[in-house]
Amino acid sequence: MTTEKKAEKKPEYIKVEIARPRAYKWSSGKYLGKLYKEALENRKLVTNRCPKCKQLLWPPAGVCGRCNVEAGEDWVVMSGEGTVLQYTYLVFPLWDPHYGDRLANPYPTATIKLDDGVFLVHFLEEKDPEKLKNVKRVQAVWKEEGRGRGLGDILYFRTIDE
Amino acid sequence: MGNRVAIVGIGQTYHKSNRKDVTQPEMVAEAVRAALTDAQMKPKDVEAVFTSNMETFEGMYLPDHMMVDEVGAFMKPGLKVNTGGTTGASVVEEGFHFVASGLFDTALVIGFEKQDCGDTTAAITAAVTPVWGKGVATGAIGEFAKQALTYMQKTGAKEEHAAMIRLKADKGACKNPYAHLKLGLKSIEEVLNSGYLVWPLRLLDFCPQSVGACALILASEHKAKKITKKPVWIADVVTVHQEPFRAGSFGDPTGTEEYSQDIAAERLYKRNGITNPTKDICMAEIYEPSNWEEMSHYEHYHFCEKNEGWKMVEKGITEMEGAFPVNPSGGVIATNPIGATPTIRVAEAALQVRGDAGEHQVTRDVHTAMATALGGPNWTVVTLLKRSL
Ligand SMILES: [Zn+2]
Repeated sequence: MTTEKKAEKKPEYIKVEIARPRAYKWSSGKYLGKLYKEALENRKLVTNRCPKCKQLLWPPAGVCGRCNVEAGEDWVVMSGEGTVLQYTYLVFPLWDPHYGDRLANPYPTATIKLDDGVFLVHFLEEKDPEKLKNVKRVQAVWKEEGRGRGLGDILYFRTIDE
Repeated sequence: MGNRVAIVGIGQTYHKSNRKDVTQPEMVAEAVRAALTDAQMKPKDVEAVFTSNMETFEGMYLPDHMMVDEVGAFMKPGLKVNTGGTTGASVVEEGFHFVASGLFDTALVIGFEKQDCGDTTAAITAAVTPVWGKGVATGAIGEFAKQALTYMQKTGAKEEHAAMIRLKADKGACKNPYAHLKLGLKSIEEVLNSGYLVWPLRLLDFCPQSVGACALILASEHKAKKITKKPVWIADVVTVHQEPFRAGSFGDPTGTEEYSQDIAAERLYKRNGITNPTKDICMAEIYEPSNWEEMSHYEHYHFCEKNEGWKMVEKGITEMEGAFPVNPSGGVIATNPIGATPTIRVAEAALQVRGDAGEHQVTRDVHTAMATALGGPNWTVVTLLKRSL
């Protein structure tokens, strides 16, 4: 096995800056495409149901992996309301690697169980660490600008009274 | 089952945050040379070479092609594997399968990661499906933070228990010449005084970004017995795949989902006649990105009852001198070169079986050891090693 040796000359990294942003084009496909479309046009969260076990697939998908059957067009419009199961918030600065934005700090993210039973990870409007402890019931607030990003069309989840 | 396969050579590099002095292939070559030296073999004695890392982390495509010469793979067969966090265990499994099949008598398997080249958190965050979960991911750490909170709430574990795990890890790391973070921590207060990164995870609660590599040489039964007096037999490897939980997170806050860790462990135990894991197995090297995760894994691997992982720490059971030592090497929280991390788990467990772990050799005699890997999310690889089959 190897142990550290002191180099004679101090080595340095070669830094390569890539100025041109890389462009990617992803297909949302038939099932996620429907979710994107409904979110964008109707501000609705939709998903489809497995024909065999009747569970909601989430995100919407062409197959149920548990039953190994092809899913169909049994679409369900879900409630935008749910319950916070877990949450956390950033305490150090982080970049959003997708859009290049500095994330807000604090920046609470939560695992939310929608009333229809599926769960998702999203942001919370509440940013006060003390108040976060008591956030239970939440409701989706849709974005006005920069839409067309699927679940990203939801700005955050806002606390609602029980 | 196929032919018997043993680990006959073990090598790893030292680990640091930065290695400005070597290229990625040169770094990997250090681990390969160490493994060949351990096995007293020459590169020509190796029939096939299998490599693994998370190439997007370093921004290098096909890193295995670039290191053909350095790893002794020139004109030899081999494959590159990437299964996410588990990849360093998957590469061991891959070599195991090829040698067990009889196709090769010897195989070199390598896990490596040179994280100082890129931005791991950005790469992990980017690992979410492009059209699903993008823009709301917080990298691995956000997920583990939420899991820590759930673990606390569900089991009654206190921050002090997580701190005990951190102290245990540091004690091991300080005795391990290849560990990355050797902090010399003296008290749980020191851990509890470290600042929060992503609440409730503190700086000292989470693994570092390490640079390093680990290589193992695998051999068929007849070759193994010629190569070494101390072969470590790979008794079994179980992989369980599971798509990310529908929340897209590592953990299941609802308590209704099946964990791949439970399934993998149950399958491994059943196939190998293990009825009492902490009795039939002598120690484990597990993949714990955070100290909270370690307590949770005790439960998922059935080392204790549900919601009682923290009690194992409190009682000192998993200490180096304890009845069932876990991560005497210092574990992932001390050293995390991601692609190499699960390979190191297998390597360290194998060293314990051989009795060659040096200062961090556990007190209990290790005839059987277990190594685990976590990735995916929710992919699990468990490897069972034995002194004799
Ligand atoms: Zn189904």
